[in-house]
Amino acid sequence: MAEKFDNLEEHLEKFIENIRQLGIIVSDFQPSSQAGLNQKLNLMISGLQDIEKCRQQLHEINVPLEVFEYIDQGRNPQLYTKECLERALARNEQVKGKIDTMTKFKSLLVSELGKVFPEEMV
Amino acid sequence: MTEMFSTLFGQNEAQGPPGSSSLGFGPGKPPPPLPQNQASMTGQMPPQLGDEGPALRKPGAMNEPFYLLRELPVGNELTGNTNLITHYNLEHAYNKFCGKKVKEKLSNFLPELPGMIDCPGAQEGSSLRSLIDKPPVCGNSFSPLTGALLTGFRLHTGPLPEQYRLMHIQPPKKKSKHKHKHHRQQDPLPQETVNTTAVGLAQSCLNKHVNSVLLLSVSLQNRHSPDHPGLAGSQPNSNSLR
Repeated sequence: MAEKFDNLEEHLEKFIENIRQLGIIVSDFQPSSQAGLNQKLNLMISGLQDIEKCRQQLHEINVPLEVFEYIDQGRNPQLYTKECLERALARNEQVKGKIDTMTKFKSLLVSELGKVFPEEMV
Repeated sequence: MTEMFSTLFGQNEAQGPPGSSSLGFGPGKPPPPLPQNQASMTGQMPPQLGDEGPALRKPGAMNEPFYLLRELPVGNELTGNTNLITHYNLEHAYNKFCGKKVKEKLSNFLPELPGMIDCPGAQEGSSLRSLIDKPPVCGNSFSPLTGALLTGFRLHTGPLPEQYRLMHIQPPKKKSKHKHKHHRQQDPLPQETVNTTAVGLAQSCLNKHVNSVLLLSVSLQNRHSPDHPGLAGSQPNSNSLR
């Protein structure tokens, strides 16, 4: 599974680097740069083809929609994972507290019932 | 934070969850079986109190351990009584994300990505939400540009207009490995439309596919957490994007 991620990561890095260089070329264009520009454009298209091929290996990967909101706000998506773990732990503690309370109530109820209905509780 | 769940769950590890069948009640006196003659006369005779009360109970109620107390539902072995983070082997992930401070900005997550990525995507029209709301047309094949098509990318010489120069500018960093700083232009010159079209194409491609990089990099992070079951099965919300 890590291999397909490595493969995609490599293609994406090359693609982004190519786009960045394309932007540098057009930022101050010279006539001698036309051939390089054409090459970069076709390299961009081949990069898209490579990324498209990687798509088939990753069709079963699911990403929560909430992560998109973090990225759109310019926030670190690891914060989402952190908050998920913290929420899970808090919820776990809350439910455990309820279970403990109910257990104590049950033992208290049994003892009191034993006092009131000693014959039935034997 | 890491001390919280160890102290909370460490004391009660020896205590198992109460069995659903164990109510703490003894077998007690079983209710007397309903005699046939008395059952047929149930509708005629008025309800009697005392010892004859249980005899008038319905057959389905005979299984109740206590009056009006129905059978408990089948218990689940995995409850909130156990430390679920330990159960699902997420201790390493918990210590990694919650033990130390996670930086706030997106650029801390992807430090080598060029451009201003800490800005909200909605400002530049390159948000991931827009990709979901209006998915791009897929399925068409990518074919290289021929000579005739490349004529549309014949650019004019000279630097970019002012509004397009900020694409390469990044916030100052202590150890910057990018080469954008020396490309800042000083003298604005008018440009032709063809030059602007190429810049717009490059910029839109960079913005949209940077979002794809960010999206897939989130999946890559799971690769670095050992024994992580993945995001799909462990999230409280059921919404997910395939």
